[in-house]
Amino acid sequence: MLEAINLYKRYHQGEVDVVAVDRFSYRFPAGLTAIVGPSGSGKTTLLNLLAGFDVPSEGEVWLGNTPFSTLSEDARSELRLKHMGFVFQQWNLIPTLTALENVAFPMMLAGIGLKERTARAAALLEAVGLGHRVKHWPHKLSGGEQQRVAIARALALNPPILFADEPTGNLDSASGARVVELLLHQAQEGRTVILVTHDLELARQAERVLRLRDGRLMEIEEAPARRSAVSSC
Amino acid sequence: MGVEVLALIYRNLRARPVRSILTLLGIVVSTASMVLFLSFGEGLRKALGAELSTVGPAVLVLPEGVEAFSPGYPELRPETVEALKESASELGISQVIPYVVLTRGGLDPQTAFVFQGIPEGLSPQALYPNLTLAAGSLVPGPKGAVVGSRLAERNQLGLGKVLRLSPSISLRVEGILKPNGGLSDNIIYVPSSVVQEALGTRNYTAAAVGVREGFKADQVAGAIKARIAGVNAQTTGDVLRFAERAVRISDLVRFGISLVALVVGGLLVANTVMMSVYERIREFGLMRALGAKQGFIFGLVLLEALLLGVVGGLLGLLLGQAASGLVNWFTGREVGLALSAITFRLAFFALLVAVVLGLLAGFLPARTASRLKVVEALGRL
Ligand SMILES: Nc1ncnc2c1ncn2[C@@H]1O[C@H](COP(=O)(O)OP(=O)(O)OP(=O)(O)O)[C@@H](O)[C@H]1O
Ligand SMILES: [Mg+2]
Repeated sequence: MLEAINLYKRYHQGEVDVVAVDRFSYRFPAGLTAIVGPSGSGKTTLLNLLAGFDVPSEGEVWLGNTPFSTLSEDARSELRLKHMGFVFQQWNLIPTLTALENVAFPMMLAGIGLKERTARAAALLEAVGLGHRVKHWPHKLSGGEQQRVAIARALALNPPILFADEPTGNLDSASGARVVELLLHQAQEGRTVILVTHDLELARQAERVLRLRDGRLMEIEEAPARRSAVSSC
Repeated sequence: MGVEVLALIYRNLRARPVRSILTLLGIVVSTASMVLFLSFGEGLRKALGAELSTVGPAVLVLPEGVEAFSPGYPELRPETVEALKESASELGISQVIPYVVLTRGGLDPQTAFVFQGIPEGLSPQALYPNLTLAAGSLVPGPKGAVVGSRLAERNQLGLGKVLRLSPSISLRVEGILKPNGGLSDNIIYVPSSVVQEALGTRNYTAAAVGVREGFKADQVAGAIKARIAGVNAQTTGDVLRFAERAVRISDLVRFGISLVALVVGGLLVANTVMMSVYERIREFGLMRALGAKQGFIFGLVLLEALLLGVVGGLLGLLLGQAASGLVNWFTGREVGLALSAITFRLAFFALLVAVVLGLLAGFLPARTASRLKVVEALGRL
């Protein structure tokens, strides 16, 4: 579904060039894939390229049969809306919209009617255990609750791909576990979940782990054995 | 566009109430000032139309080169008036009323005395059919005067009082008119011979000419111009057209002045919306990341400016209406005229200006917001 071919991203910083992503090629299968690496290894830059927030200096990102990274801004936005969901580390929610409206937002962009999107948003919030928080403003929610609203929103249009960049970075371990559980569940449902993290404990729960160093893909660690362990929890 | 969009715009404006209200006030005041300025032109048009509709005779004969509204030394010669009377039946004229005007005490209607000399034995109704008598007689005698209600009231002129037209000519008030709501309330009607004596001339200011049944005012005016040398003949319609031209020019001048306020109001909106764009860069980045197109962000910001413009314009219209009422109350008390009028087309124009103002003010901030780079707006996550 999502495939990176020879991705290369170079930043100019004054006189020096920084290579943030260096010839990265990978075809992401369904299930949970973790991307790990030390700070500055290019994880966020890679995610930006995969999600079409930014365009690579060289190489391409393909979404199915579409050369995603070569499309226009608006064309990428449209595909992102329908095929990708996002959970960021923080500032996930639009501050002037309630939890319910935040979840309904992508559905509004997709042109789904008010009644239907409100009902679906309420059901999604219920599913992440926030049925009692629909009318809350983001700043009245705890960090963990905010992340769960973000997950509900990411699932709003039932996209095949989910991106999560350090989704538990700002959470205590209990709320973090809750968020991870939700993401794992989505991976088991057959979605492609791409998780960027520092947390090796978290990465261990993934079906495969990609190790980055200096923007380069150093190692792919497949762990099919863990699948059963995950589904039992 | 869904309710979420309206909620976003409304809540964003409400999140910083003081700033939003100050900006709104800026538009309210600039729109109101424009409305008030332009309402004077509309008021003038209305007053002119009303004034001319009270004039009886349909054609005004003036000496050539003199416009209907310019007072000056009387230049219409008695021979010309005689010539008019002689060819009356031929030209389709039913009556000829020569009159002579003398103004004492400047142009300020508060202090001015306007004497209108009319043919002896004639009532001022011949010129202004709407006039009615309050007391005394309607026809001024050889040394008599019939006084408009407002002028009588202002100068406490009762019946029998003596008015001085010149050091050697004094007149007795013989009649007082009922209020009519027009300029004629401020006029003193006297026999023309008296005014001519005071001015030392036998000339007239102008002659009002009635049109015989079966003839058209335009035809008659044309025939008079062709037949009688040295005169100009204007119909009520001509006068209106001439006045309209003058009012339109003054409209432009007044709109030009109010444009300054409008530009300031527009810059205020642009500044407010631009600031709110800078404060919400992250939010726009997030929306784009979720799949919003550039046009969506553009529309969102433009709508915010438009909302400020429209709401400010509506409130400004109300404020302008109130100010216009105040002006009319004042001028009504002082000169008996409603100087300001807010017509439907003025209200429509004001709202249109407010909408255009909002769109212009929102354009730059909207473009800035829609062109943000997603990664940079997200702050590199
Ligand atoms: N916009 C930019 N301009 C210049 N250099 C950049 C830019 N974005 C990233 N870099 C550089 O690219 C490299 C990779 O950065 P990136 O943020 O992708 O790393 P990361 O793996 O996400 O780090 P962390 O774990 O700290 O989040 C770093 O050296 C960084 O300084
Ligand atoms: Mg990072």
